[in-house]
Amino acid sequence: MPLAHLVQTGFGGFYDGLAHWALTPQDVLLVVAFALLAGLAGKQRARQLVLALPSAWLLGGLLGLLVPSLMPPELATTLSFGLVGLLVALDRRLPAAAFFALILAAAGLHGVANGSTMATTGPGWLGLVGATLAVFIAVSLIPALLVGLKKPAARVAVRVGGSWIAAASLLMIGWLFRAG
Amino acid sequence: MKRLVLACLLALVALAGAHELQPAYLELREGADRSIAVTWKIPYFKGRPLPIEPGFPDDWQEISEPHLTPLGNGLLFRWKMKPGESGLDGAMIRIEGPRTGLTDVLVRATLANGEATTRVLRPESPGTEISFANGGVPFMLGYLFIGIQHILLGVDHLLFVLGLLLIVDGTRMLVKTITMFTVAHSISLAIATFRIVEVPEAPLNLCIALSILFLGPEVVRKWRGGTSFTIEHPWVVAFAFGLLHGIGFASGLSVTGLPRGEIPLALLWFNIGVELGQLAFVLVSLALMRAWKVIELRWPLALRRAPGLAIGILGAYWTFDRFHAMLTAV
Repeated sequence: MPLAHLVQTGFGGFYDGLAHWALTPQDVLLVVAFALLAGLAGKQRARQLVLALPSAWLLGGLLGLLVPSLMPPELATTLSFGLVGLLVALDRRLPAAAFFALILAAAGLHGVANGSTMATTGPGWLGLVGATLAVFIAVSLIPALLVGLKKPAARVAVRVGGSWIAAASLLMIGWLFRAG
Repeated sequence: MKRLVLACLLALVALAGAHELQPAYLELREGADRSIAVTWKIPYFKGRPLPIEPGFPDDWQEISEPHLTPLGNGLLFRWKMKPGESGLDGAMIRIEGPRTGLTDVLVRATLANGEATTRVLRPESPGTEISFANGGVPFMLGYLFIGIQHILLGVDHLLFVLGLLLIVDGTRMLVKTITMFTVAHSISLAIATFRIVEVPEAPLNLCIALSILFLGPEVVRKWRGGTSFTIEHPWVVAFAFGLLHGIGFASGLSVTGLPRGEIPLALLWFNIGVELGQLAFVLVSLALMRAWKVIELRWPLALRRAPGLAIGILGAYWTFDRFHAMLTAV
């Protein structure tokens, strides 16, 4: 499993977990995609994201820590960020229920992957707390930069960002199939 | 919600380990007869010497018994070794023992001709080849890294800075307060490193804990709309307690055995590391506060008060814990 190795910062488990999130493209792209989606949808979705995504990540992570064998296939984590990137590209404002369900499913899935990795490679719950804090900081800061965007060109630029995330997902899926 | 937040804060106490663990220090100095004078300093961890030791190449032999000197914060061993055919340059050095994951080890090697190199061994890479090519860059980066590590792992220092952020109003006062804290701890770090002032570790750690405990009620007073000298002039408190915290930072800068000429450079890079870590913490904290304002996120009252409560609770816990440790040591 490509996720089953962990960067060692030398700063202890908490920072190892934080760095693990920052250096795992699937995790970063999922969180960025959600942040773009919420930023485009406005302040209410941005607030909901700050509360919901880190919670789902932490819950999934705890599940992964307790049952490391639940590690999801890489295809699932790659598809999930591609799907959210696609929604950004389409500038879709999801109903609240769908938004929360998507967060729970995707962030929960990545959280389980994180937790399984932390359980098998050392930092354990402290690493999970570090990763969740990184997620929390990212989903607090990025939507705040976007909610004030009024110019159509700026919104188009954000949507282009979403399309790149979706494209990165397709590319990684291609690699996964090629690698067998 | 209030009870949940309180429970989480009390759980923090159980996890709160703000130990100031120094790096260990290994010096290898080649003599004119090619023998190696070894200086090995191990810090105390929870009142006991850290069970780690240096591992040398198989063909190195001890030619004198280790001479032990107890220090206030660790043990110092000195002995001589005869290296193998290849000598000091190119030798593989490892740190061994059950607790190698707890601290960094500064390794300094000097050839008979005065050429020197310094390496930092970290828990994830406890071995190194002694090489005298490009010795200067790792030396500086090593101290920079230790400085960043010291502040980012020093929960007590970060909590004090957070307390300052919570009681300060306005950008100008914030810049003034953080600058004063920085100036103060830089001054006292230098003073303590050059041993102009020596403060025993136990009472120093107690005073640092007291500085955090002091800020807790001030944050609460601020919530209630009250005022005090600290709230009106936070920069004065930041400067005064910054002097204390600087002496605490000095515990992370192990310079025993470094040539006097290199101590200023080590101090400079260590301090830059501390400042970078502190600046990152302050910037992220401010950016988060700003972001929540932009998206109009209003946390429940209990959560809004949690950081201030954490400062008070942890300050009180560390004060009792360190006071107990001091009494036990006596």
